Amino acid sequence: MQRIVLSLWSGLICLLLLSLVQSSGIPVSDASSAPPSPIDPALLQTLQARYKALAKQLTQLMPRQPYILVDTARNHLYVKRADQVMLDALASTGSGTILDKPGDSKGQWIFDTPRGEFSVQSRLTNPVWVKPDWAFIEEGLEVPKTQADRIEPGVLGEYALGFGKGYFIHGTLYTRLLGKNVTHGCIRLNDDDLKSVYNLAKVGTPIMIF
Amino acid sequence: MNVLCAILSLLLSLTSVSWAGEQNGLPPWDPNDSTALYDATRVLEEEVKLAARPQTYILIDLTTNAILIKGRGIELHRIPIDNWSASHLSELAVAYRLRERPPVNRRKLDPLGGTEQDPISLADMPTTFALHFSPPMTILVRSSNEGHPWQWATQRGREWWRRLTAWSLTLWTGEKPPSLPSLDLTISSDHAQSLAWTVTESMPFLIHRTTRP
Repeated sequence: MQRIVLSLWSGLICLLLLSLVQSSGIPVSDASSAPPSPIDPALLQTLQARYKALAKQLTQLMPRQPYILVDTARNHLYVKRADQVMLDALASTGSGTILDKPGDSKGQWIFDTPRGEFSVQSRLTNPVWVKPDWAFIEEGLEVPKTQADRIEPGVLGEYALGFGKGYFIHGTLYTRLLGKNVTHGCIRLNDDDLKSVYNLAKVGTPIMIF
Repeated sequence: MNVLCAILSLLLSLTSVSWAGEQNGLPPWDPNDSTALYDATRVLEEEVKLAARPQTYILIDLTTNAILIKGRGIELHRIPIDNWSASHLSELAVAYRLRERPPVNRRKLDPLGGTEQDPISLADMPTTFALHFSPPMTILVRSSNEGHPWQWATQRGREWWRRLTAWSLTLWTGEKPPSLPSLDLTISSDHAQSLAWTVTESMPFLIHRTTRP
């Protein structure tokens, strides 16, 4: 019994010491204790050549033309070409809130701006908003039966850039909310920035969202 | 002989210039260290595969102490790592997929309630969280500027408990528990929230490990 208690205590002390070492800010790694491998010049040369070839391959995958970068955490949209920032605009992105689908116990809408890589699929001037079901349900209204009852002009600004699945970069009437996560997933800009983005972007322009 | 030496030095300097030029600055590791070069090449091989597809991915670069959010090989955002530690680092693979993002307390809209719901923001994101991956690997993200002794004690307590149970199990059954690699990252609370915000389910992660002590 005494031996078990003793071993438990020694185990705890070991854990405490190990934990203190880990919290001391010194990177602790298993690999650091591995002996350094002997340098084979031929192998080194092959590896260096392979590394350079891969680095070149990676560079070739980077977009040559301007691309749109959206930071949804800080609500900024940038247009960049390589490392050059061509435009830095305050934006509004997805609110992250949820809305239950009526009549569907498990279904719900999540109002997030999608993350990942997309591309400009359409460039529209004077777009009209075809209100989806959630826009009515959110306001406690009945979903209309005809398409005509869904159309609302003048709320998306003068331009819109579609990037798939109903998501757009568009204008807004609520410019005071720029810089906040308030949208249903689309990306809102003020009129001037929207015009600049519209002029810089073509169909196919990459959009990176994180 | 002197001329030969001068030519050789010139050739050597040209080689390093071309290396630096392709890398946009010298790599943070020694290009003549075959182990470091092997690791960097493995990471780059995986990154080329990821960058060829329309997606964003995360590169945890322990050689430069940075978490990079990337797409198409471009650095989209950089999060500095204040400190890190790892267990079973040698068993760490290069590529992982995140099983699920950290839980977020999303507000539900109530059309009949009439009250407007606040959107989620960076401030709603956790500052300490664990990310679980496939193949099995865990990254524990802690905030460096939390300064709450209670949180520190809770984290340490959990860690001790995990080790104690593993140790007791070994003692009891005589079998060693599977050695799963794990990584502890300490970053500022703002950056921790930013990382929790950014990661998505099944997002690819690359880990560039270092052999430096």
